[in-house]
Amino acid sequence: MIVDKQRQEAQPAFVLHTYPYRETSLVVEAFTLNSGRVPLLAKGAKRPKSALRGLLRAFQPLQLSWGGKSELRVLYKAEWQGGLPPLQGTSLICGFYLNELLMRLLHRNDPHEQLFVYYQDTLAALSTHEDYMPILRGFELRLLQELGYALTLDHDVTGKPINSPSDYCYEIGRGPVKLEENDCSQGLRLSGTTLLDMGRGDYSSAATRVQSKILMRYVLNHYLGDQPLHTRQLLKDLQQL
Amino acid sequence: MAYHLLQRDHEGAQRLASSLDYALQHIRHCEKCNNFTEEVVCELCRSHHRDAALLCVVEMPADLLMMEQAHCYKGMYFVLMGRLSPLDGIGPREIHLDRLLKRTQDGLVKEVVLATNFTVEGEATAHYIGELLHDKGLKITRIARGLPVGGELEHVDSGTLAQAVIERREM
Repeated sequence: MIVDKQRQEAQPAFVLHTYPYRETSLVVEAFTLNSGRVPLLAKGAKRPKSALRGLLRAFQPLQLSWGGKSELRVLYKAEWQGGLPPLQGTSLICGFYLNELLMRLLHRNDPHEQLFVYYQDTLAALSTHEDYMPILRGFELRLLQELGYALTLDHDVTGKPINSPSDYCYEIGRGPVKLEENDCSQGLRLSGTTLLDMGRGDYSSAATRVQSKILMRYVLNHYLGDQPLHTRQLLKDLQQL
Repeated sequence: MAYHLLQRDHEGAQRLASSLDYALQHIRHCEKCNNFTEEVVCELCRSHHRDAALLCVVEMPADLLMMEQAHCYKGMYFVLMGRLSPLDGIGPREIHLDRLLKRTQDGLVKEVVLATNFTVEGEATAHYIGELLHDKGLKITRIARGLPVGGELEHVDSGTLAQAVIERREM
Protein backbone atom coordinates (compact mmCIF):
# COMPACT_ATOMS: atom_id res chain seq x y z
CA MET A 1 0.00 0.00 0.00
CA ILE A 2 1.32 3.43 -0.89
CA VAL A 3 1.11 5.87 1.95
CA ASP A 4 0.91 9.50 0.94
CA LYS A 5 3.28 11.18 3.36
CA GLN A 6 2.28 14.59 2.09
CA ARG A 7 -1.28 14.08 3.20
CA GLN A 8 -2.22 15.91 6.38
CA GLU A 9 -5.47 15.54 8.26
CA ALA A 10 -7.10 18.16 10.48
CA GLN A 11 -3.98 20.15 11.31
CA PRO A 12 -4.46 23.18 13.55
CA ALA A 13 -3.77 26.19 11.34
CA PHE A 14 -4.25 29.90 10.71
CA VAL A 15 -4.61 31.65 7.39
CA LEU A 16 -1.85 34.27 7.04
CA HIS A 17 -2.81 35.58 3.62
CA THR A 18 -4.72 34.58 0.49
CA TYR A 19 -4.16 35.36 -3.18
CA PRO A 20 -6.72 34.97 -5.94
CA TYR A 21 -5.89 32.09 -8.28
CA ARG A 22 -7.64 31.78 -11.64
CA GLU A 23 -11.33 32.70 -11.67
CA THR A 24 -12.67 31.01 -8.57
CA SER A 25 -9.74 29.64 -6.55
CA LEU A 26 -7.43 30.93 -3.87
CA VAL A 27 -3.87 30.26 -2.85
CA VAL A 28 -3.79 30.22 0.93
CA GLU A 29 -0.60 30.87 2.85
CA ALA A 30 -1.30 28.96 6.04
CA PHE A 31 0.64 28.81 9.29
CA THR A 32 0.17 25.29 10.59
CA LEU A 33 1.13 23.59 13.84
CA ASN A 34 3.16 20.68 12.45
CA SER A 35 4.26 21.87 9.02
CA GLY A 36 4.94 25.57 9.61
CA ARG A 37 4.08 27.91 6.76
CA VAL A 38 2.60 26.04 3.78
CA PRO A 39 1.01 27.28 0.54
CA LEU A 40 -2.29 25.53 -0.21
CA LEU A 41 -4.54 25.66 -3.25
CA ALA A 42 -8.18 26.12 -2.26
CA LYS A 43 -10.05 25.08 -5.41
CA GLY A 44 -13.27 26.93 -6.07
CA ALA A 45 -13.04 28.78 -2.75
CA LYS A 46 -14.45 31.97 -4.32
CA ARG A 47 -17.59 30.30 -5.66
CA PRO A 48 -20.76 31.52 -3.92
CA LYS A 49 -21.65 28.04 -2.68
CA SER A 50 -18.17 26.84 -1.75
CA ALA A 51 -17.93 25.26 1.70
CA LEU A 52 -14.58 27.01 2.11
CA ARG A 53 -16.01 30.46 1.53
CA GLY A 54 -16.24 32.39 4.79
CA LEU A 55 -13.95 29.92 6.55
CA LEU A 56 -10.60 30.86 5.08
CA ARG A 57 -10.27 34.04 7.10
CA ALA A 58 -7.14 35.26 8.81
CA PHE A 59 -6.93 35.33 12.63
CA GLN A 60 -9.36 32.46 13.15
CA PRO A 61 -8.29 29.00 14.40
CA LEU A 62 -9.00 26.35 11.77
CA GLN A 63 -8.25 22.71 11.13
CA LEU A 64 -6.99 22.16 7.60
CA SER A 65 -6.60 18.93 5.64
CA TRP A 66 -4.54 18.79 2.48
CA GLY A 67 -2.75 16.45 0.13
CA GLY A 68 -0.85 16.29 -3.14
CA LYS A 69 2.73 16.00 -4.25
CA SER A 70 3.54 19.34 -5.86
CA GLU A 71 4.84 22.25 -3.80
CA LEU A 72 1.38 23.78 -3.91
CA ARG A 73 -0.67 21.19 -2.01
CA VAL A 74 -4.42 20.96 -2.48
CA LEU A 75 -6.61 21.94 0.45
CA TYR A 76 -9.63 19.69 0.60
CA LYS A 77 -11.15 20.45 3.96
CA ALA A 78 -11.28 23.34 6.41
CA GLU A 79 -13.01 23.22 9.75
CA TRP A 80 -13.84 26.17 11.93
CA GLN A 81 -12.47 25.87 15.48
CA GLY A 82 -13.66 29.19 16.87
CA GLY A 83 -12.97 30.42 20.37
CA LEU A 84 -11.07 33.55 19.38
CA PRO A 85 -12.99 36.83 19.33
CA PRO A 86 -12.52 38.52 15.92
CA LEU A 87 -9.90 41.27 15.78
CA GLN A 88 -11.34 44.70 15.18
CA GLY A 89 -10.03 48.21 14.65
CA THR A 90 -6.40 48.80 15.55
CA SER A 91 -6.01 45.25 16.90
CA LEU A 92 -6.89 44.03 13.40
CA ILE A 93 -4.08 46.12 11.90
CA CYS A 94 -1.73 44.70 14.58
CA GLY A 95 -2.82 41.23 13.47
CA PHE A 96 -1.81 42.07 9.89
CA TYR A 97 1.55 43.16 11.28
CA LEU A 98 2.09 39.74 12.92
CA ASN A 99 1.10 38.04 9.67
CA GLU A 100 3.43 40.18 7.59
CA LEU A 101 6.32 39.34 9.93
CA LEU A 102 5.53 35.60 9.65
CA MET A 103 5.16 35.80 5.87
CA ARG A 104 8.47 37.57 5.53
CA LEU A 105 10.57 35.71 8.09
CA LEU A 106 9.32 32.10 8.19
CA HIS A 107 10.60 29.67 5.59
CA ARG A 108 8.03 27.38 4.02
CA ASN A 109 7.56 23.89 5.45
CA ASP A 110 9.70 24.72 8.48
CA PRO A 111 7.69 23.78 11.61
CA HIS A 112 7.63 26.11 14.62
CA GLU A 113 5.23 24.48 17.05
CA GLN A 114 5.93 26.72 20.02
CA LEU A 115 5.68 29.84 17.91
CA PHE A 116 2.33 28.62 16.60
CA VAL A 117 1.00 28.38 20.17
CA TYR A 118 2.48 31.78 21.01
CA TYR A 119 0.88 33.29 17.88
CA GLN A 120 -2.52 31.96 18.96
CA ASP A 121 -2.06 33.41 22.47
CA THR A 122 -0.94 36.73 20.96
CA LEU A 123 -4.11 36.97 18.83
CA ALA A 124 -6.19 36.24 21.93
CA ALA A 125 -4.34 38.97 23.84
CA LEU A 126 -4.81 41.48 20.98
CA SER A 127 -8.55 40.87 20.94
CA THR A 128 -8.94 41.55 24.66
CA HIS A 129 -6.29 44.17 25.59
CA GLU A 130 -6.20 47.84 24.71
CA ASP A 131 -2.45 48.32 25.14
CA TYR A 132 -1.04 46.58 22.04
CA MET A 133 2.54 47.64 22.44
CA PRO A 134 3.76 45.09 25.04
CA ILE A 135 1.94 42.34 23.10
CA LEU A 136 3.71 43.22 19.85
CA ARG A 137 7.13 43.50 21.55
CA GLY A 138 6.62 40.12 23.21
CA PHE A 139 5.75 38.53 19.86
CA GLU A 140 8.73 40.08 18.07
CA LEU A 141 11.13 38.81 20.77
CA ARG A 142 9.62 35.33 20.62
CA LEU A 143 9.70 35.23 16.83
CA LEU A 144 13.40 36.17 16.75
CA GLN A 145 14.13 33.56 19.42
CA GLU A 146 12.37 30.85 17.39
CA LEU A 147 14.31 31.81 14.29
CA GLY A 148 17.58 31.48 16.21
CA TYR A 149 18.23 35.21 16.52
CA ALA A 150 17.30 35.63 20.20
CA LEU A 151 18.20 38.97 21.74
CA THR A 152 20.51 39.04 24.75
CA LEU A 153 18.83 41.14 27.40
CA ASP A 154 20.33 40.05 30.75
CA HIS A 155 24.10 40.20 30.22
CA ASP A 156 26.56 42.08 28.06
CA VAL A 157 29.02 40.61 25.53
CA THR A 158 31.61 39.97 28.26
CA GLY A 159 29.10 37.95 30.29
CA LYS A 160 28.57 40.56 33.00
CA PRO A 161 24.98 41.18 34.15
CA ILE A 162 23.30 44.25 32.68
CA ASN A 163 23.65 47.23 34.97
CA SER A 164 20.49 49.29 35.03
CA PRO A 165 21.88 52.87 35.11
CA SER A 166 24.57 52.19 32.45
CA ASP A 167 24.21 52.78 28.74
CA TYR A 168 24.84 50.03 26.20
CA CYS A 169 25.43 49.75 22.50
CA TYR A 170 23.33 46.89 21.09
CA GLU A 171 25.18 45.16 18.26
CA ILE A 172 23.25 42.68 16.10
CA GLY A 173 24.70 39.18 16.31
CA ARG A 174 26.76 40.07 19.40
CA GLY A 175 24.51 41.69 22.01
CA PRO A 176 24.83 44.64 24.39
CA VAL A 177 28.29 46.23 24.66
CA LYS A 178 28.77 48.45 27.70
CA LEU A 179 29.46 51.99 26.56
CA GLU A 180 32.72 53.26 27.97
CA GLU A 181 33.16 56.00 25.44
CA ASN A 182 30.44 57.51 23.35
CA ASP A 183 31.11 55.47 20.25
CA CYS A 184 28.13 53.35 19.12
CA SER A 185 28.58 53.42 15.36
CA GLN A 186 28.26 49.61 15.10
CA GLY A 187 24.97 49.36 16.96
CA LEU A 188 22.11 51.09 18.71
CA ARG A 189 22.49 53.04 21.92
CA LEU A 190 20.06 52.30 24.75
CA SER A 191 19.88 52.11 28.53
CA GLY A 192 20.43 49.06 30.70
CA THR A 193 17.00 49.67 32.22
CA THR A 194 15.36 49.11 28.83
CA LEU A 195 17.17 45.80 28.34
CA LEU A 196 16.20 44.56 31.81
CA ASP A 197 12.59 45.76 31.43
CA MET A 198 12.29 43.97 28.08
CA GLY A 199 13.70 40.79 29.62
CA ARG A 200 10.99 40.94 32.27
CA GLY A 201 8.25 41.97 29.83
CA ASP A 202 7.70 45.18 31.81
CA TYR A 203 6.72 48.06 29.51
CA SER A 204 5.36 50.43 32.14
CA SER A 205 8.15 53.00 31.75
CA ALA A 206 7.76 55.54 28.94
CA ALA A 207 11.50 55.42 28.16
CA THR A 208 11.40 51.62 27.85
CA ARG A 209 8.42 51.84 25.49
CA VAL A 210 10.25 54.23 23.17
CA GLN A 211 13.66 52.51 23.29
CA SER A 212 12.31 48.95 22.94
CA LYS A 213 10.36 49.97 19.84
CA ILE A 214 13.48 51.49 18.27
CA LEU A 215 15.56 48.42 19.20
CA MET A 216 13.07 45.95 17.74
CA ARG A 217 12.75 47.98 14.56
CA TYR A 218 16.54 48.12 14.26
CA VAL A 219 16.95 44.36 14.73
CA LEU A 220 13.97 43.34 12.56
CA ASN A 221 15.06 45.64 9.72
CA HIS A 222 18.39 43.83 9.72
CA TYR A 223 16.71 40.46 9.12
CA LEU A 224 13.99 41.78 6.81
CA GLY A 225 16.41 43.38 4.37
CA ASP A 226 15.65 46.40 2.22
CA GLN A 227 11.93 46.00 1.71
CA PRO A 228 9.99 47.88 4.40
CA LEU A 229 7.02 46.38 6.26
CA HIS A 230 3.77 47.68 4.74
CA THR A 231 1.79 47.18 7.95
CA ARG A 232 4.26 49.28 9.94
CA GLN A 233 3.59 52.19 7.57
CA LEU A 234 -0.17 51.63 7.90
CA LEU A 235 0.01 51.69 11.72
CA LYS A 236 2.03 54.91 11.48
CA ASP A 237 -0.51 56.47 9.08
CA LEU A 238 -3.34 55.51 11.46
CA GLN A 239 -1.62 57.14 14.42
CA GLN A 240 -1.18 60.35 12.47
CA LEU A 241 -4.88 60.70 11.59
CA MET B 1 -11.13 32.69 -27.32
CA ALA B 2 -8.14 34.25 -29.10
CA TYR B 3 -7.81 31.23 -31.45
CA HIS B 4 -11.53 31.17 -32.17
CA LEU B 5 -11.59 34.87 -33.08
CA LEU B 6 -8.51 34.61 -35.29
CA GLN B 7 -9.72 31.51 -37.11
CA ARG B 8 -13.47 31.93 -37.43
CA ASP B 9 -14.68 35.37 -36.47
CA HIS B 10 -12.65 38.26 -37.86
CA GLU B 11 -15.62 40.59 -37.73
CA GLY B 12 -16.26 39.81 -34.06
CA ALA B 13 -12.57 40.32 -33.31
CA GLN B 14 -12.70 43.72 -35.00
CA ARG B 15 -15.79 44.72 -33.00
CA LEU B 16 -14.14 43.60 -29.76
CA ALA B 17 -10.93 45.47 -30.60
CA SER B 18 -12.75 48.72 -31.43
CA SER B 19 -14.95 48.44 -28.30
CA LEU B 20 -11.89 48.03 -26.15
CA ASP B 21 -10.20 50.90 -27.95
CA TYR B 22 -13.27 53.11 -27.47
CA ALA B 23 -13.43 52.22 -23.77
CA LEU B 24 -9.76 53.00 -23.27
CA GLN B 25 -10.17 56.37 -25.02
CA HIS B 26 -13.41 57.52 -23.42
CA ILE B 27 -13.94 55.90 -20.03
CA ARG B 28 -12.59 57.72 -17.02
CA HIS B 29 -13.33 58.09 -13.33
CA CYS B 30 -16.27 60.24 -12.21
CA GLU B 31 -15.00 63.30 -10.37
CA LYS B 32 -17.45 62.75 -7.54
CA CYS B 33 -17.91 59.01 -7.01
CA ASN B 34 -14.75 57.69 -8.70
CA ASN B 35 -16.81 55.11 -10.64
CA PHE B 36 -16.20 54.49 -14.36
CA THR B 37 -18.04 56.90 -16.62
CA GLU B 38 -17.78 58.56 -20.04
CA GLU B 39 -18.59 61.95 -18.54
CA VAL B 40 -16.87 64.24 -16.04
CA VAL B 41 -19.59 63.61 -13.46
CA CYS B 42 -21.62 60.42 -13.88
CA GLU B 43 -25.39 60.23 -14.29
CA LEU B 44 -25.97 58.89 -10.78
CA CYS B 45 -24.03 61.75 -9.18
CA ARG B 46 -25.97 64.33 -11.28
CA SER B 47 -29.37 62.91 -10.35
CA HIS B 48 -31.71 65.17 -8.31
CA HIS B 49 -33.68 62.20 -7.05
CA ARG B 50 -30.95 60.93 -4.79
CA ASP B 51 -30.23 61.89 -1.20
CA ALA B 52 -27.04 63.96 -1.16
CA ALA B 53 -26.81 63.65 2.65
CA LEU B 54 -25.93 59.95 2.37
CA LEU B 55 -22.64 58.68 0.99
CA CYS B 56 -22.07 54.95 0.66
CA VAL B 57 -18.48 53.71 0.33
CA VAL B 58 -18.02 50.49 -1.67
CA GLU B 59 -14.90 48.68 -2.86
CA MET B 60 -15.71 47.99 -6.52
CA PRO B 61 -18.17 49.07 -9.26
CA ALA B 62 -19.79 45.59 -9.04
CA ASP B 63 -20.61 46.31 -5.39
CA LEU B 64 -22.38 49.53 -6.41
CA LEU B 65 -24.45 47.56 -8.93
CA MET B 66 -25.46 45.07 -6.23
CA MET B 67 -26.50 47.92 -3.92
CA GLU B 68 -28.62 49.38 -6.70
CA GLN B 69 -30.21 46.00 -7.48
CA ALA B 70 -31.23 45.66 -3.83
CA HIS B 71 -33.34 48.89 -4.11
CA CYS B 72 -32.52 49.68 -0.49
CA TYR B 73 -30.50 52.84 -0.80
CA LYS B 74 -31.19 56.22 -2.36
CA GLY B 75 -28.03 58.12 -1.49
CA MET B 76 -24.77 58.79 -3.30
CA TYR B 77 -21.71 56.55 -3.64
CA PHE B 78 -17.97 56.58 -3.51
CA VAL B 79 -16.17 53.68 -5.22
CA LEU B 80 -12.71 53.00 -3.79
CA MET B 81 -11.63 50.80 -6.72
CA GLY B 82 -9.91 48.52 -4.24
CA ARG B 83 -9.35 48.03 -0.55
CA LEU B 84 -6.56 48.33 1.96
CA SER B 85 -4.49 45.19 1.77
CA PRO B 86 -1.42 45.68 3.92
CA LEU B 87 0.20 42.38 2.97
CA ASP B 88 -0.07 43.23 -0.73
CA GLY B 89 1.34 46.69 -0.15
CA ILE B 90 -1.95 48.46 -0.88
CA GLY B 91 -2.19 51.33 1.58
CA PRO B 92 -4.32 54.49 1.96
CA ARG B 93 -2.43 56.28 -0.83
CA GLU B 94 -3.07 53.52 -3.36
CA ILE B 95 -6.85 53.69 -2.92
CA HIS B 96 -7.00 57.52 -2.92
CA LEU B 97 -8.57 58.00 0.48
CA ASP B 98 -7.64 61.69 0.21
CA ARG B 99 -10.25 61.99 -2.55
CA LEU B 100 -12.85 60.32 -0.35
CA LEU B 101 -12.05 62.75 2.47
CA LYS B 102 -12.50 65.67 0.06
CA ARG B 103 -15.76 64.21 -1.25
CA THR B 104 -17.25 64.05 2.26
CA GLN B 105 -16.47 67.72 2.86
CA ASP B 106 -18.94 69.15 0.32
CA GLY B 107 -21.24 70.41 3.11
CA LEU B 108 -24.12 68.18 2.00
CA VAL B 109 -22.97 64.76 3.21
CA LYS B 110 -24.22 64.02 6.72
CA GLU B 111 -23.78 60.26 6.95
CA VAL B 112 -21.13 57.96 5.51
CA VAL B 113 -22.25 54.34 5.12
CA LEU B 114 -19.30 51.95 5.03
CA ALA B 115 -20.21 49.03 2.76
CA THR B 116 -16.77 47.51 2.24
CA ASN B 117 -16.63 43.71 2.23
CA PHE B 118 -16.64 41.62 5.39
CA THR B 119 -13.22 40.22 4.65
CA VAL B 120 -10.33 41.09 6.96
CA GLU B 121 -9.13 43.60 4.33
CA GLY B 122 -12.60 45.13 3.99
CA GLU B 123 -12.81 45.46 7.77
CA ALA B 124 -9.39 47.11 7.91
CA THR B 125 -10.51 49.54 5.18
CA ALA B 126 -13.70 50.39 7.09
CA HIS B 127 -11.72 50.96 10.29
CA TYR B 128 -9.22 53.23 8.54
CA ILE B 129 -11.96 55.31 6.89
CA GLY B 130 -13.78 55.51 10.23
CA GLU B 131 -10.64 56.95 11.83
CA LEU B 132 -10.01 59.25 8.85
CA LEU B 133 -13.50 60.76 9.08
CA HIS B 134 -13.61 60.84 12.86
CA ASP B 135 -14.23 64.33 14.28
CA LYS B 136 -15.33 65.64 10.89
CA GLY B 137 -18.92 66.16 12.07
CA LEU B 138 -20.25 63.19 10.12
CA LYS B 139 -22.26 60.19 11.21
CA ILE B 140 -20.30 57.05 10.31
CA THR B 141 -22.20 53.77 9.94
CA ARG B 142 -21.23 50.24 8.91
CA ILE B 143 -23.66 47.90 7.14
CA ALA B 144 -24.72 44.97 9.33
CA ARG B 145 -23.74 41.35 8.87
CA GLY B 146 -25.27 38.05 9.91
CA LEU B 147 -27.36 35.24 8.51
CA PRO B 148 -28.66 35.67 4.97
CA VAL B 149 -32.36 36.47 4.60
CA GLY B 150 -34.22 33.16 4.29
CA GLY B 151 -31.08 31.44 5.58
CA GLU B 152 -31.31 28.41 7.82
CA LEU B 153 -28.86 27.81 10.65
CA GLU B 154 -28.39 24.26 9.41
CA HIS B 155 -26.88 25.42 6.13
CA VAL B 156 -24.87 28.45 7.13
CA ASP B 157 -21.07 28.35 7.52
CA SER B 158 -19.61 28.37 11.04
CA GLY B 159 -17.81 31.69 10.62
CA THR B 160 -21.00 33.54 9.68
CA LEU B 161 -22.97 31.89 12.45
CA ALA B 162 -20.28 32.63 15.07
CA GLN B 163 -20.22 36.30 14.02
CA ALA B 164 -24.00 36.52 14.12
CA VAL B 165 -24.00 35.18 17.69
CA ILE B 166 -21.26 37.62 18.74
CA GLU B 167 -23.19 40.53 17.20
CA ARG B 168 -26.64 39.42 18.39
CA ARG B 169 -29.01 42.23 19.31
CA GLU B 170 -31.63 42.78 21.93
CA MET B 171 -35.27 42.61 20.87
